[in-house]
Parts: sequence; structure tokens; C-alpha cells
Amino acid sequence: MDDPLEIALITLILLLPFAGFFGVRMSSQRWAGLLAMVLTGLGLVLSFSLLRITTVPMVPILAEWLRLFDTPFFVGFRHDRPSVMILVLAHFVALLVQIYSLSYLENQAERPRYFSYLQLFVGAMAGILLASNLIVLYGFWELVGLASYLLIGFWYHKPEAARAAQKAFLYNRIGDVGFLIGILLTYRLFGTFEFALLNKEAPTLVGLLLFMGCIGKSAQFPLIGWLPDAMEGPTPVSALLHAATMVAAGIFLLARIHPLLSPDALVVVALIGTLTALWGGFSALFQNDIKKVLAFSTVSQLGLMVAAMGTNNVTGGLFHLLTHAFFKAGLFLGAGAIIHALHTQDMRQMGGLRQRMPITFWSYVICAASLAGVPLLSGFLSKENILGGAFSWASEQANPLAFLIPVALLFTSGLTALYMTRQVRMVFLGEGYLSGKPENQLHEPNWLLLGPVVLLAIFSAWFWFALNPLSAQGSWVESWLSVTNLGHPITAPETGHAAPIWLAPVSILLVLLGGWFGFRLRDPTPNRLVVRASVRYGFLDEFLTWLVVLPIRRLANWLHRADIRVVDGLVNSTGIGTVVGAHLAYALDRYGVDGLVNGGAWVAGRLGKLTRSVQSGRVQSYITAAVVGLLLLIWLIL
Amino acid sequence: MLLSLLIFLPLLGSLVVALLPSSQRGQFRWIALGITAANLLVSGLVYTAFDQTQTDYQIGQQIDWITLSLGNLGSVSIDYLVGIDGMSFPLILLTTVVMLVGVISSWTIRERQRAYFSLYLLLTGTVMGCFLALDFFLFFLFFEFMLLPMYFLIGLWGGPRREYASLKFFLYTLFGSVLILLVMIGLSMSVMDPVSTALATGLINGLEQADTNVIRLIQAQLANGQIDPARIVHTFDFRYLADGGNYLPSSFLSLSGETFPLGIPARMLAFWAVFLGFAIKLPIVPLHTWLPDAHVEAPTPVSVVLAGVLLKIGGYGFLRIAWGFFPDGGAEYARVLAGLGVLSIVYGGLNALAQNDIKKMIAYSSVSHMGFVLLGIASLTAEGINGAIYQMVSHGILSAMLFLIAGVIYDRTHDRRIDSYRGLNHAMPQYATLTAVAFFASLGLPGFSGFVGELFTLMGSMQSAWLPGWQTALATLGIVLAAGYFLWTLQRMFFGPYWNRHETNSTPGTSSLADLTPRERWLLIPLGLFSLILGLFPNLIFNLSSAAVSEWLKRFLVE
Repeated sequence: MDDPLEIALITLILLLPFAGFFGVRMSSQRWAGLLAMVLTGLGLVLSFSLLRITTVPMVPILAEWLRLFDTPFFVGFRHDRPSVMILVLAHFVALLVQIYSLSYLENQAERPRYFSYLQLFVGAMAGILLASNLIVLYGFWELVGLASYLLIGFWYHKPEAARAAQKAFLYNRIGDVGFLIGILLTYRLFGTFEFALLNKEAPTLVGLLLFMGCIGKSAQFPLIGWLPDAMEGPTPVSALLHAATMVAAGIFLLARIHPLLSPDALVVVALIGTLTALWGGFSALFQNDIKKVLAFSTVSQLGLMVAAMGTNNVTGGLFHLLTHAFFKAGLFLGAGAIIHALHTQDMRQMGGLRQRMPITFWSYVICAASLAGVPLLSGFLSKENILGGAFSWASEQANPLAFLIPVALLFTSGLTALYMTRQVRMVFLGEGYLSGKPENQLHEPNWLLLGPVVLLAIFSAWFWFALNPLSAQGSWVESWLSVTNLGHPITAPETGHAAPIWLAPVSILLVLLGGWFGFRLRDPTPNRLVVRASVRYGFLDEFLTWLVVLPIRRLANWLHRADIRVVDGLVNSTGIGTVVGAHLAYALDRYGVDGLVNGGAWVAGRLGKLTRSVQSGRVQSYITAAVVGLLLLIWLIL
Repeated sequence: MLLSLLIFLPLLGSLVVALLPSSQRGQFRWIALGITAANLLVSGLVYTAFDQTQTDYQIGQQIDWITLSLGNLGSVSIDYLVGIDGMSFPLILLTTVVMLVGVISSWTIRERQRAYFSLYLLLTGTVMGCFLALDFFLFFLFFEFMLLPMYFLIGLWGGPRREYASLKFFLYTLFGSVLILLVMIGLSMSVMDPVSTALATGLINGLEQADTNVIRLIQAQLANGQIDPARIVHTFDFRYLADGGNYLPSSFLSLSGETFPLGIPARMLAFWAVFLGFAIKLPIVPLHTWLPDAHVEAPTPVSVVLAGVLLKIGGYGFLRIAWGFFPDGGAEYARVLAGLGVLSIVYGGLNALAQNDIKKMIAYSSVSHMGFVLLGIASLTAEGINGAIYQMVSHGILSAMLFLIAGVIYDRTHDRRIDSYRGLNHAMPQYATLTAVAFFASLGLPGFSGFVGELFTLMGSMQSAWLPGWQTALATLGIVLAAGYFLWTLQRMFFGPYWNRHETNSTPGTSSLADLTPRERWLLIPLGLFSLILGLFPNLIFNLSSAAVSEWLKRFLVE
């Protein structure tokens, strides 16, 4: 049970990045990047070793964190195949991103800070993946939020970056508060935080509260708005955190707590995921910022993964998480290379880059095609898995409206093809940028930038994941990511998500159709409502600002005025009233001694009545009181 | 003896500072430093002697002080009685730390050093006395005496509106004290000292014979009215006040509750009276308005001590006196009390969001964070009570850090307005980093102590059989609000391009704002580390408190 190798591996995987967080911060500009890469490379090797010895879920580390008399609380770490696979993935992408950043980050002075934040992120992510209970997971969950805050706001001198960082943290906090309530309710119901023991269905409300954590972290509806703003951070950061790994933590959470979700909760999860997939897809349609298109495509794909979780297809969701990480990181790093060369993010100022940057172009196209779901690429496999699962789930539902979910997801994949083709067309094809510019100004980026992009494109091929280019059924990925490997009880027989036979042709057709539209169609004029709605992602942020932010700030200001005028006003007027009363008493004393005497008698009478009610009728009590009073007097005088 | 040292070292120091000739002016702060450091050392010694498994008071010292024989009308005894248990000891450790921090941050005080350090040491001794006293009379003495140095420390060394703030603080707390005084007298009238009474009735011949059997016997006699009232010894002893068996039948505060002044059972009335008295101290909305004023006007070290230690006396009073002596009140009104806690959390948080003065922002955040203490206590669960004690320690450290941070910028510009600064990160990077650490620790980032305190108070209130779940849900709003006001302040003051209202030419290179001095740095870093260590190893506090809390909770099992 307590294999020392497992303990050593997990401890090192967790400790190295946190040591790196401090170590890299203090190292010199020259060595910071290298040290960080060595640490992450080491982490990659270690997590790969851990994957090799991982078979069934294990909790090798379980230590008492604190004890309240007879109630212990534990810190524990576990490993199972899905979590360690994502761990390897996170290390791999982090390593590539750090190699890439060496060249991308021109200002050397920023390096120690930058690479140390990345180390913090890697450590926190590893913690989420390896946590054995909800409290530990929540702890690292918040740390990931901190890393995200620091990295989005990395260029803090830019007010937009600082604002985006704050927005990201607050949006996440809103989700996390629901998550926290869910955790506390879970503890109240089950008396434990350990995932291994949380394998029974919880009430719908509890499941939905836990799901709120995912809504925040994975930018699900309605907490979408922070993710596009997070693009203010350095582009490699966007690739690692806000596309490949961190935002996927919400998906991982859903996989972890899946047994707790009741069928009703799952329907809500599926609905939110589908809505997010559509919302993100629509919002990506008319963006002109190269990173924003990718950001909304991430939102849309995360929605797809959440929908998979909701339709009881945990494996499909995790599978898409895996494939998506590669090609989306590739896309972001490719976009970063372009931004690096052109110093603009506006796609309207691009075009024709294909001739000058052919390797970037082909890598980008492969990743984009994978995202769009073109066969022979990884994205097709995982998307088919999700769609197939959604259709078979819908066919099991009593309500025929359930089919709306898979149909909407299918439509989303068409949208994906559309906006990705549009992006590729605007950036790489035509003349655009090159017209009227000197010939040799633009060329391929150096290999520090290019290498990771190419590598990620290569990993977008189908054969890494399954031998059959059209279906991942029965592949190693599917069996490794199965719910049994997560340690979940098998409630329903795994249908294998047998997709309807027509699904693959139809989705290929849709992709082609979307691609054709994206290639042929030109954007309507920017002031059209549909364009504005897309660019402002359905005015969601404006709506939330109006619904939540403004009222809270108004309430805060109003309460503060009330606090000063009413609450404190009462205090002050009591004071003033006392002083006025004192003056009145003085006037009484001055101008009517008789009145005072009479008044005194009256007050004494009243007091007598009052004290009579206090008395138990026992003489000795009075005397005691008198003596105590006397003592007090003595004390006061002395 | 050790515990008495904690009280009398500072009191002696206060006297020494007051009597030394003015030529020794330079020594005053060193004396204060030496004595607070010695106190820290003593509390460390106490730590080694403290038995974590013991549920009762320990390391105590008892000296008969005043015993008044009243002939055939009974008698009353007042003792010099000190001791600690798991509920007070964490707060004593906190006090010694914060008091030392306060002295170091007082280093720059130039005016009237003699009076300042004399009063400061007087404050230290009286606060210590409050946490250590196990005799209500003694406790009350310290509780009242604490007001005096605090009044002058704010009123003489404070900001522009110091007279108003100090008077408000004084009167407000005094009002609370009156309520506590009334209940104290009522309690002493209603409770007997079983040991002394047994002696007086001749049941035993010496103190050494007093065991639990004797106490049970004398309590039975009391309940049956077999004791001659003349032989009853009334007491202020916390140990006896907390034991229902010592309450005289048909007395004012007897358990059966036969008196109904104002139509309310006397015990409930007494509960609310002490609750109000300590709620002012904590403070609880709507009795909190003295706090922002006092904090804004107080000099930095006094703010540190006020937030770091003095507020905790409110929470301690809840545990020891309000809930401790009137468990029926705490149980009866659990929902209302938790509701007041939730109100404080949310109301304080919203108000903090509306502030433009960084010290006021921190003051209102204190109100919000102290709400968690009340919520935890009201839950009547092990998680909640331990969490409340932990939260008090955590907030003591973090609020000390926060007020030091506010003091840093105020020392440089005499301007605390948040919108007077932008992009301070460029001019004062170390300051910015440590501020970010303090803010994130305070808004409950896991790894720091703020998280554990909030987690366990919330867990307790969610677990509680007395409270509905929606109260906890509402309280979590405070966590979002905390993230809101701290991060917003961080963004407004520290990020963006550098700008400062007091400089016409605001570029980072030419800024007149110096980064942290070594003294400031070495005050803030240890506090941050403290919070981190407690956050990672919360057992350091929970081990101290949990045994005593589990014993304390037994009084609520009667239902």
C-alpha cells in the first residue's frame, strides 16, 4: 500500500515547483529560465515515472493535518491513471511554454518573476490533480487562481492587465464560493472529504454547488467574461493556463466528483455546457483579435467537455481535455509567434503570412483543423466521442427534447470550423500585411518559438491516441481514461458510446460546410447588431455588470452612507441627547428645586418599582448587593 | 507565578518608565521593548509547561484577596486568581507577539515618550490580566483599566479627530462595561463557592478535603435548601460561575429562571447584557461605529494593538462569560446570534468595499472578519468554536500586518486615501509585495491562516444542528467581498503607471517615496511568515484549544 517509490515521486512532483517558485524568483536573470525548465523537465520525467507505475487508484499519502479533539482532518494525495495523464500533459505543455518564453520574453529583467510564477502554477496544478480530498483540492484550486492572477497581471503597469487579473480572480471567487458551500454540505452529508469515500449520489443542490467551482474555473456560462480578458497576459501564459491546463481543472473536478452528481444535476451540467459551447462559438465568429478568437474557441470547447460530463461521458470529456490541450496550446503559441513578429493582435492588419512563415502556417493549420474536427487529427476523435456519447445519452432520456443537446453540440462543431477557417484566411491568406511593405522584414520565428509549435502540431495527429483514425473506441486512451480508473463505481453499464452510424459523415459534412463558409463569407459591417453581439459575447458582461456589479457597489456606497448617518448618527445623537439632557437637568435644578425634588421622588418611585421586580425577596441578597456595591465604591475611590 | 509575571512585568515597567528621570528619555522605548520581549519569553515558557490534553484551567495561581464575612448573611470572596486553559492560551500567545510588534512599530514616536511607553506598558499588563484572570471581579478590573491607557493613547498621539474618536471609544466601551458590571453583580449574588461553603458549613475541615464528592454533596444540599444562608460564600470565581450546580435556587439568575424583569427571563436578559457588552468590543454590527473612527485616528502601533488584541477580548468574553455562564442563552438564540455574525460579515465587507481611506477599509474588513468569530461561536460545534479561536489569532496577526502596511504609506505622505496613489509597485516594490502577501492572506488564500479560520468557522456553522444552512451560504458572501475590496485596493494603489498626488513629477526614478526601511521590513516579514506557518500547520493552535473546547461544549449537550 505505502509504496515508498510512489510517496517519493508524488512528494517530489509537488515540492519541486514550490521550491522553484522561491528559487527561480531569487536566481539571476540569466539562469532563471534555465532553472525553471530543468525543474519542469524533472517534473515531467517524474510524472512519467509515476504514470508507469500507476494502475489502480491509490492514496499513498494520507497524513493528519489537524485534529479537533477526536475529529481528524487529513491531507492526502492520490494517483490514478487519468489524473497522472493530465499531470504529464501539464508538465509537458509547461515545459514547451517555458522553452518558448525564453525567446518570447524580450525583457530579461522580467524573467525571474515570470518563470517563478509559472513554477507556482505547475505546483498548484499538480496539487489539484493529485489531491485525495476536497479540502486539499480546494486549497490548490485557489493557488491556481493566484498563479493565474499573477500571470494575467504580469504586465501590471498596463491598467487593462491589472483589471483583467482582478476580474479573473473575482469571477473565480464567485464560482469558488458556491464550490466551498458545496464542499461543506458534502462534509455535512457524508462526514468525509475523501474522494475515495464520496461515491454515492448527493442531493442535486449539492452537486450543482460543487459544479459552480467548474463554472468559475472553466469559464462556463455565465462566468465566461474573465477568460477573454485574461488574454491581457503574455501569450505563452494564455497557452498554458487559459487554454491547455488551468481552465481544464474544472473539467477534471467534474470527473472527480462525478458520482456525487444526481441525474437532475447532470442535466443542468449538460445544459450549461451546451449553452457555453454555443455562446463561445458564436462569440468567436466576428472577433478581430487573434487571441480573442482562440479564447472564445476555448470557452466553446470547454463547454463541449462539460456537456460530455453532463451526458455521463466522463471519458469523452477527459479525452477532449487531453487532445484539446495539445492543439490549443499549439494555436496560442503559433499566434504568439505571429504577434511577436508583427507587433499587432488585430487580424485585419494581417494576411498573406503563409509565404513568409510557411512552417508556422502549416503547424497552425494542422492545429486549427484538429480543433475544427477534421478527420485524421486528434480533435476529430475526441469530438466524435463526445457527440456519440451525447446522442446515446439523449436516446436514453425520457424527454425527446434531450436530443437538442447533441444537436446543438453538433452545430457548435460546424461553427468551430467556420471561425477557425475565417481566422486562418485573415491571418495567412490573401495579401494584407505584405502589401506595400519591404520584402525581407518578415520571416519565420527562431526555433525556440517554432519548435514547440511544430511539436504540438505533431501531437495533434490521430495515431498518438488511437490507431483507427475515425474512432477512438477501444483505444488505449479510452481505457486509460475510463471511470474505473478514476475509482468511480460503475453505475450503468458503459455503453461504449456507440455513435450512430451517420454521425461521422454528418459531422465531417458540417465541418466542410463551416470551412467553406469561413473561407467564402466576409464579415458584415462592424456596427451590425450580430457583429457587436458576437464581439461583446452576447453583452454578457454588460448584463452582469448591470445585474450584479453595479448594484453591489451602489449598495456598498449606500450602506456606507447609512453607516455614517444612521448607525453612527444614532450613536452621536445619543451622545448629544445625553448632553442636552444634562443641560435640561441643570436648568431644572436651577429654576425649580421643587420640581427636582418631586421629579426625584417620582424617579425613585419608578426605580423602586423596577427593582422590586428584580428581587427575590431575600434579605441577604440585598445585603450582598449592597456590600458588593460598597466594595465597588471603595475600589472607585481608592 | 509565570502567569503573574505576564501581568506584573509590564505594570512594573509602566511604573519604572513613569518614575525614571527625563534624562533617561532614550531608555523608555528600550525598557518597553525589553519587557514585551520578556513577556514573549515567559509565554514561551508557559507553552512548554502547558498540558494540551488537560481540559481544565492550569498553571494557575490563587491568592485570597478580599473575603468579607457578613455575619449571618453569608459572605463574599474575591480572589486574585489567574490561570489558563486552551481557550485563553492561544490569545495570550497572540497578545505577547502583537505587543512586541507594537513596541517596535512605536520606535519612531517622538512626542512625550515617557507617557506613551508608560501607558503602553500599562495597556499590555491590563490586557494580559483580562485573558488571565479567572475571577470575574479581577477580570472586570483589568477590563475597565484597559480603557484608560487606550483612551490616552488615541487621544494624545492620534490624528486630527483624536478627541472625538477616543471619547467615542471610551464611552462606547464604558457603556458595555456597565452592562457587564450589572451581570457580574447578579452572578455573584446567585452563585456560591462550593469549597468555601463546605468549609463554612463544617462539611470539611480543610481545603485538601474538597474533592468532587464533597462538591456534589454541597451542591445537593444547596439545591434542597439545606444550607444556612448565613454560611453561603458568594463568589466571582469563573470555575464556579460556569457550573450550574452552584447557582442558588430561587436567586436572581437561578437556572430555573423564576424572575422576569421586563417580561424576559432574567438569565436571558443577563445573557444579552453581557453579549452586548462584549459585542461592542468585538465589534458586532450595529455596535461597530467606534471602530473605524478609533482606527483612523489612532497612531499605527495603537491601531495594531487595538485590532490585533483588544477586539479579541470581545470574542474571549463571549466564550468565557456570555456563552460560558449562560449556555441556555447561547443555545436559545443561536440563530439570532449567528445572524448577527452573518450581518457583520456581509455589512462589514460591503462597507469596506465603499472606502477610499485604506485604514477605514482595513477597519471594516476587521468587522467582517470578526463576524466569522461570532458565527463560529454561535454554531456550538467543535469546528466552529475552535475555528473562532483560530480566526481570532489569525486576524490578530493579519490585522497587525495590515495596519502596519497602512502606517507605512501614512508615515511617508500623511495621506491614507487610496485614490492618491497609482502604480506604487514601481516606486516601492518590496512594499507592494508584502502588501500583496497580507491582502491575499487576509482574503483567505489557502496556505495562509485566514483561510483556515474562515474554513473552520464556516464548516462549524454548516455542521451545526442549531443553524440553518442558508446562514452559512450567506456568510460566504463575505469571502467574495473580501476578494473584492482587497484586490480592488491592490489594483488601484499598486498597479498601472506610477502616480502620486503629492508629486508633480511622478516618475518612478525620481519618486520621493522610499521603499521599506529595515525596521518596517522586519516587522512585516515575520508576521507574514507567522500567518503562513499557522496556515500550513493549523494544529499549532487547534492542539492547544481543542481539548478545552470539547469540554466547554459539553454544557450544550443537555438538550
